[in-house]
Amino acid sequence: MESKPSTTPSSFIDQQVFPGDVVLDLSKMANQTIKLGGGLRQDGDVISVMKAGKLRFSKPNKYWVESSNKRYVPSAGDNVLGIVVDAKADNFLVDIKGPTLAFLPVLAFEGGTRRNIPKFEMGTLLYVRVVKANTGMNPELSCMDASGKAAEYGPLKEGFMFESSTGLSRTLLSSPTCPVLETLGKKLAFEIAVGLNGRVWVNAASPSIVVLVANTIMKTESLSPVQQKIKVESLMQRMR
Amino acid sequence: MDLEREGGRGANQLRPIDCSRNVLSRAHGSASCSHGETRVLAAVYGPKAGTKKNENPEKACIEVIWKPKSGQIGKPEKEFEMILKRTLQNICLLNVHPNTTTSIIVQVVHDDGSLLPCAIHAACAALIDAGIPLKYLAVSISCCLTESGKILLDPNKLEEQKMKAFVCLAFPSSVHSTLMERFDKTIWHKLIHSNNKGGMVEEIGKAVEVSGFINGRIPHDFPEGVYIRNVKNGNSMREKVSNLYRPVLKANGVLMFWFAGW
Repeated sequence: MESKPSTTPSSFIDQQVFPGDVVLDLSKMANQTIKLGGGLRQDGDVISVMKAGKLRFSKPNKYWVESSNKRYVPSAGDNVLGIVVDAKADNFLVDIKGPTLAFLPVLAFEGGTRRNIPKFEMGTLLYVRVVKANTGMNPELSCMDASGKAAEYGPLKEGFMFESSTGLSRTLLSSPTCPVLETLGKKLAFEIAVGLNGRVWVNAASPSIVVLVANTIMKTESLSPVQQKIKVESLMQRMR
Repeated sequence: MDLEREGGRGANQLRPIDCSRNVLSRAHGSASCSHGETRVLAAVYGPKAGTKKNENPEKACIEVIWKPKSGQIGKPEKEFEMILKRTLQNICLLNVHPNTTTSIIVQVVHDDGSLLPCAIHAACAALIDAGIPLKYLAVSISCCLTESGKILLDPNKLEEQKMKAFVCLAFPSSVHSTLMERFDKTIWHKLIHSNNKGGMVEEIGKAVEVSGFINGRIPHDFPEGVYIRNVKNGNSMREKVSNLYRPVLKANGVLMFWFAGW
């Protein structure tokens, strides 16, 4: 048989879905508002999947596909780590691992005026917020939060940045705190910035701590929480 | 059909298929697929900003680079590139990221017949690994007509060289769907691509009537005859090959999956 004999959308929730799978039949749900997140599209009367991943649902009406990729799809409100590629008159061009370069307006800084435009060199690492991300347009960034304060956004000096997948970034940012960070944080002092686009920045007093933290995070990506704790403990033992 | 095939394969039997993804650390998406001895590696980079000169900037552009196992790049490679590009353009959603280019590099690791289906499967798996938005997945099969008039599926290199005619077909893969009753079956008989060499026009007899429901760009009816005579209905073959993708893509890392015949 070609299809699973099921008629309820809930049967696909938290299941692996593939491009082409039909997850919702809109003709059965009249007068309901549904919010579609990433990975889903409307194809006439049905909602079908665009990307492979796990289908998620959050009440009251939001559906999306969670997948872990090396590239990032910009969406408004995300905090990402970008690298300055070029500086124009009005914007900085910043690479955020998306389909297009993003623009960071020169005035999007706390207390920013034409007289005190920051000078970022090519290659500067920035912690920024995605303000707008529409299809077909370059995303727009800002170094201020929604209320206009600087709030930790801006260039990240020193430290070490490494790239991994968007899934790892979400795990590191999950609450309660991810086991790796918790176990590392009990013994070591370090600073970390996680971008939802798969970039992570670590800084500490000594390079060996930075290397240890970075390697631990990268190596424990695919382990379960219990295994992560064990692995982290063993890596820290070796350091002494 | 008591034809002697290498390894005792039946005329309808496929070689074991094995597929693994995320095999290259630097590519945005990668997959390696093998049909028996034929092995193809595909890497996807993208979407990246900008399209090529003659392409429509309102849509995403797909670029395929075919790398043979050895030798210089010539006309046969360009032909494969063009075939793969058209097949993948059919399955990709091109308006999600307009004005971007996605590059797919296909490297032939070993060619033991049935190269194009293997490449289509590898490219498809690599696109999924990279997270490129797709309409559906593609499955592909090749079959050949031998001197003695027998039809064989998934020929290896020796069989391909001795054959009279050859055809390669690609279809949308079967999907899981919540709508069972209203399922519009005609979609899944769509042919994405057919590529054939040679054809015995005289042999078309009874096959013609049955091929009515298929729509797609088929030059003449010969491929239809091959397809229908050996397979109960197109669905069973497509379903089996589609089952290939699901277990592979469930794993986070590399997973080997074996599938043999039916």
